[in-house]
Amino acid sequence: PVTAGSIVVPYGHVIGNEKWRGSEVAQRLQGKLIFEDGLGLVDFHLSNRTCILLISEADLVAGDEFKRRLVRFRNASSLRGIVIVEKTQISDQYYLGIQKLVVLELGMVLLPVANQGEASQLIIQLVSFSVREQSRDRGTNPFLCKQHAQLAEPAVLQTVQQIPGVGKTKALLLLQQFGSIHQLCNVSINELEEVVGQTVAQQIYTF
Amino acid sequence: ERIPGPSLAGISRGPVDQGPSLCVLADSREICSGPEVISCLRAEHGLRVQVCPLGSSDYIVSNRLAVDRLLQSELQSPGNRNRLSQRLRRLQGSFERICVIVETDRVRPGETSRFFQRTQHYDGVLSALVQAGIRILFSSRQEETAALLKDLALVEHRKGAAIQVPTEPEGHRRDILNLYLSIPNLSYGAALNLCHSFGSVAAVANSSVPALAEGARLSRPQAEELHRFLHHDFDLQLLPQPLPAKGK
Repeated sequence: PVTAGSIVVPYGHVIGNEKWRGSEVAQRLQGKLIFEDGLGLVDFHLSNRTCILLISEADLVAGDEFKRRLVRFRNASSLRGIVIVEKTQISDQYYLGIQKLVVLELGMVLLPVANQGEASQLIIQLVSFSVREQSRDRGTNPFLCKQHAQLAEPAVLQTVQQIPGVGKTKALLLLQQFGSIHQLCNVSINELEEVVGQTVAQQIYTF
Repeated sequence: ERIPGPSLAGISRGPVDQGPSLCVLADSREICSGPEVISCLRAEHGLRVQVCPLGSSDYIVSNRLAVDRLLQSELQSPGNRNRLSQRLRRLQGSFERICVIVETDRVRPGETSRFFQRTQHYDGVLSALVQAGIRILFSSRQEETAALLKDLALVEHRKGAAIQVPTEPEGHRRDILNLYLSIPNLSYGAALNLCHSFGSVAAVANSSVPALAEGARLSRPQAEELHRFLHHDFDLQLLPQPLPAKGK
């Protein structure tokens, strides 16, 4: 019921449901928008993995039909669904309920806009990020974790200094002698005494 | 992913009376910046709120979910971009799931309701958050934020990820907690779990990756990272600044 087969979205474009032809969103997306029949529940496709369901103020006021549509989409599709909802003075009262359903129960993304103009601007930004994602240019997303290897030495030293009675000097001595925190935890009190003296050795051992 | 089971409404009626109450950790700075969130969580929703120096995030609602509370104006201004991205990237290092609650700025007395001018930058930030897999919730005031935090804690509880260990270790255990907290990319919740699940630091150091994952309620990669850290062979040469020579 969602879509027939997989959708191929041309680079930097959006495929839009026929029903939005002539609307304000469509006008503002002009040049980026391609209409297609039979998109079913989906309003816009950003990529072959991500699509948008647009809930208007009128949908909200009309009742629960849009909820059935969202649930049907969620059950039928493995696409990542972004729900954009028109949050106006009139529809504001419904927002918390919708958010609970969409984000907490269906596990989808929900973004509020004030009108169709804002929706089109948001879609343009989403498209630009979706393009970057497809081109594997993920480094440009400021919120994606870049895994750069960090030296563990300073952190290991910090951790050993948390043992009562152990400052920087003793921590260094201990690590040079025993190598790792794991080994340090497995040495006998006699071996500790050889490095730090009796009192501190006792403290470390009982810690 | 999909959340099966009964609807939230059924549970939220009386979470307080059923067994131990839900627990949320709040960062100490939230006492100043979100006092109504904290008092609302306690008074209205009956949650156990433990205020502690989290540093990384504003709230921790389960063993794997951190929540940051952001004001709408913070997302509006490009000046905040670096600070925000650094903060969220650090969170991604220690948590499986991250959620931000975007809260409408409060209107100060004497000020007429501020007109929110949506910028391209704002839409860009939202898009980047979506793409990074960070959950976004919107709230219009602190009381609503509290309700959202409660909902998140409930959902996480239903998925078996709730914080269920004592959150205030004392004495010797306090020292041990501080040691765990110094481990990079280990969240406050995971450190508490380590304190609770293992008798000593040595027991932690001698545990296998699966045992660490189980005891600290960590994901497999996070447990592997912890295991690597504990077994890391220290090399003095790799310390960033040269240390003064020590007479021995």
